[in-house]
Amino acid sequence: MKKLDTELAVGLFVLAGILCLGYLTIKLGKMEIVGPKGYELHAIFSNSGGVKEGSSVVIAGVEVGRVKNITLENYQAKIILTLPRGIQIQEDAIASIKTKGLVGEKYIEIIPGGSEKYLSPGERIRETQPSVDLEELISKLVFEKI
Amino acid sequence: MVRILRLFFSTLLLFCGIVSPAFSGEPQDQLRQTTDKVLAILSDPAFKSPDKAKVRRELILRTVDERFDWEEMARRSLGRHWLQRSPEEKQEFIRLFKDLLERVYMDKVEGYSWNKIIYEGEQIDGNYATVRVKVFTSKDQTIQVEYRTRKRENQWLIYDFLVEGVGVVSNYRTQFNDIIVKSSYQELIKRLKTKATQDGMDEKKK
Repeated sequence: MKKLDTELAVGLFVLAGILCLGYLTIKLGKMEIVGPKGYELHAIFSNSGGVKEGSSVVIAGVEVGRVKNITLENYQAKIILTLPRGIQIQEDAIASIKTKGLVGEKYIEIIPGGSEKYLSPGERIRETQPSVDLEELISKLVFEKI
Repeated sequence: MVRILRLFFSTLLLFCGIVSPAFSGEPQDQLRQTTDKVLAILSDPAFKSPDKAKVRRELILRTVDERFDWEEMARRSLGRHWLQRSPEEKQEFIRLFKDLLERVYMDKVEGYSWNKIIYEGEQIDGNYATVRVKVFTSKDQTIQVEYRTRKRENQWLIYDFLVEGVGVVSNYRTQFNDIIVKSSYQELIKRLKTKATQDGMDEKKK
């Protein structure tokens, strides 16, 4: 009887461990079990600058959403973003690709606009700003000197 | 048979020749017309002397004016603060904003030695169009410019442009927002006005 108790305790402990591991995997891997909450918008950039699926979408420095998908469309990057329902984006908002620090990871910043019209789910953020290639800019500066 | 084929291909080539200029659509054509006019004024020997500089500037400004949608540009630059402004404030802001842009970019336009301009194509999407342009300076540098235009009564007017991927509207929207959030809209107007008088004084010194 006593042996069974110990085995039960170990079993429960292991089970709890597996559950914790599962929770951490989902949480850290930023996976979503029940479909994403919120809505989707897309934007087309001439240069995605290496934004990845799962990169953050930021307004005024606050993370509000994530990049859901990136595809190549007509040799341009089409990026699908998911945003929470509570956050509406004006039709003249600007989406631009920024870098954290000088060489940090890329993220998308949305600069809110002044239009009275808001984008509905599935619509496109028309105004975009591609990632600025620092190397290219530096090389231009260097070559001008010569 | 060979003759027929040859005839067929030569007509085809001819046809392509006639058709190809039409591929550059309205937005690009209109932009090209304005740019050509400005370039013509810049290279006109009649305006080369320093005492003609003011007349030349006036002339360029008037030409450029036709191609810009200043209200739209000012509205977009002020962003979400635009809706809170009264009609008079909006008019004043448009005027100040236009002055600011003209001062900042006129020096660049007049100072640059434009070597060649290549129109790299356009993308039309309903009432909006993007025209991409590559400017070659005499130092053999290239500057990538992207114009964002919107159709209004058959005219494609510029409401934003990107130089090397950096947008004018987005730049000013961030700056104006910073000033308004930190202090107030009145402070922004004050700063724009002082900048205008300062630049005016610098101009006179020249």
